[in-house]
Amino acid sequence: MFMNGTIPWQPVIAELSLAEKGTSSAKVILTGFLVVFAVLFLLIGIIKLYSYAIGKAQQSADNRKRRKIEVVDVPKQPSAPAPRIFAPPEDEDEEVPEEIVAVIAAAVATMYGSPGKARIKSIKKAGGRSAWANAGVLDNTRPF
Amino acid sequence: MEILNGFLEAIKGLYESSGILTLTWQNYVMIAISCFLLYLAIKKQYEPLLLLPIAFGMLLVNLYPAIMAPPHISLVEIPNASDPAAAGHVVQEIGGKVYYENPQYGGLLYYLYQGVKLGIYPPLIFLGIGCMTDFGPLIANPKSLILGAAAQIGIFVTFTGAIFLGFTEAEAGAIGIIGGADGPTAIYVTTKLAPHLLGSIAIAAYSYMALVPIIQPPIMKLLTTKKERSVVMEQLRPVSRLEKIMFPIIVVIVIAILLPDAAPLVGMLMLGNLFKESGVVERIAKAAQNELMNIITIFLGTTVGATASGTNFLKLDTLKIILLGLIAFCMGTAFGVLFGKIMYKLTGGKINPLIGSAGVSAVPMAARVAQKVGQQENPANFLLMHAMGPNVAGVIGSAVAAGVLINVVG
Repeated sequence: MFMNGTIPWQPVIAELSLAEKGTSSAKVILTGFLVVFAVLFLLIGIIKLYSYAIGKAQQSADNRKRRKIEVVDVPKQPSAPAPRIFAPPEDEDEEVPEEIVAVIAAAVATMYGSPGKARIKSIKKAGGRSAWANAGVLDNTRPF
Repeated sequence: MEILNGFLEAIKGLYESSGILTLTWQNYVMIAISCFLLYLAIKKQYEPLLLLPIAFGMLLVNLYPAIMAPPHISLVEIPNASDPAAAGHVVQEIGGKVYYENPQYGGLLYYLYQGVKLGIYPPLIFLGIGCMTDFGPLIANPKSLILGAAAQIGIFVTFTGAIFLGFTEAEAGAIGIIGGADGPTAIYVTTKLAPHLLGSIAIAAYSYMALVPIIQPPIMKLLTTKKERSVVMEQLRPVSRLEKIMFPIIVVIVIAILLPDAAPLVGMLMLGNLFKESGVVERIAKAAQNELMNIITIFLGTTVGATASGTNFLKLDTLKIILLGLIAFCMGTAFGVLFGKIMYKLTGGKINPLIGSAGVSAVPMAARVAQKVGQQENPANFLLMHAMGPNVAGVIGSAVAAGVLINVVG
């Protein structure tokens, strides 16, 4: 087929009648609409379900960890009224430089107007990709 | 004298094989169009990563059509079957004359085009996209998938328009998918349903994707009120690494079982995403999103452009496709925003309907447009991450819609 230069995939289909066109359109719209929504709704359900399950599993793992720390801590500090139950992540131990606090406070004040509207309670390093790295990824995905 | 004759013969041969004699007026029109597209790609920077190779492929095929020619056999006349020139060739006799078969190789772009024709490049592009996509906003707010689905309605409505404009079912399916605003998906569906329309559909799809910032805002503003556009959405919850790792595995299982036709696209998208989220194959993830994706983009762009030869492209059907593509795009945006409005009502004003427009895919341009239009009403409003949910949901939605079309009309 290729040898004589013809296009092998060119469809040869007779012209559809008006009724056939209507039927075909209705069939595609109905099927497309229902299937796309059904599949995506199913995904919503599944995502919610596994997110819930993972959340629960992680919560119970955290609880177990807490209990373990309490058990270890209590004999060492018998007189302490409130034993420290959280083991802070290593990152939180790092002190945030004052300059950074000032910059964040300034940004918050710019966003929320007067200083009374918002109060900074704590500043923690976020895990994962930074906002700038995200912007870089967005830039790279732009043509698609 | 013999040297002079030989020289003149050679010059005559060169002249006869040159484009001056062999090219048609359609080729010259296409050369002008490709130069204009090159101008848009370089000067205006409209999707240059794709528009530039597409325009240059278009230029090449109209200057030298044989670059896309398939392999063929030419017959060379010989005095008799025992002629030494025919040694090693198949000899045949036609009308009393003896010929030997001289196989000719196809043009360079013909071979590179096989990756498009066989549906190999679009899934590989999806692999790279998967490596670069963060599904976190979608996992944090799964309802975004509704907006990703709503924006696909334009595809099916445009299908009707195309049918009534005289296209076959398969052609109408390929035209409708332009509304998915997803280049690789549009190319994949077209190669399966109507490969002869590939040039016009790919060019329409990528042109409209480049024009997202111009096409979408008027529709978004027309369908929403100032109050709706000003909604500030709640911050998304953080998503754990385990959720992100499980997402691609679960999505591919569900979609490939329910809709096998969408498996090549969704499968590669999710494989790329698992490369990224697993964090254990960093080298492969980098190769997929950089080297592999760039190489495929060159091959895909150039060969898709090369399908737009003068005789193929300059037809009334091309104009119809460009018009229908625009309708598909506008409808996708409109349905996304309308469903966004429904969600705004149902959630008591917690969802900004503008993020619905990002459901048309076109990652991440459509999400940026939602952010920009939202900020025009409220400069302190940051919708980008909220719009990324429907945006990446749109990629999954388009792939599912592609699977439906291939299955129903293919």
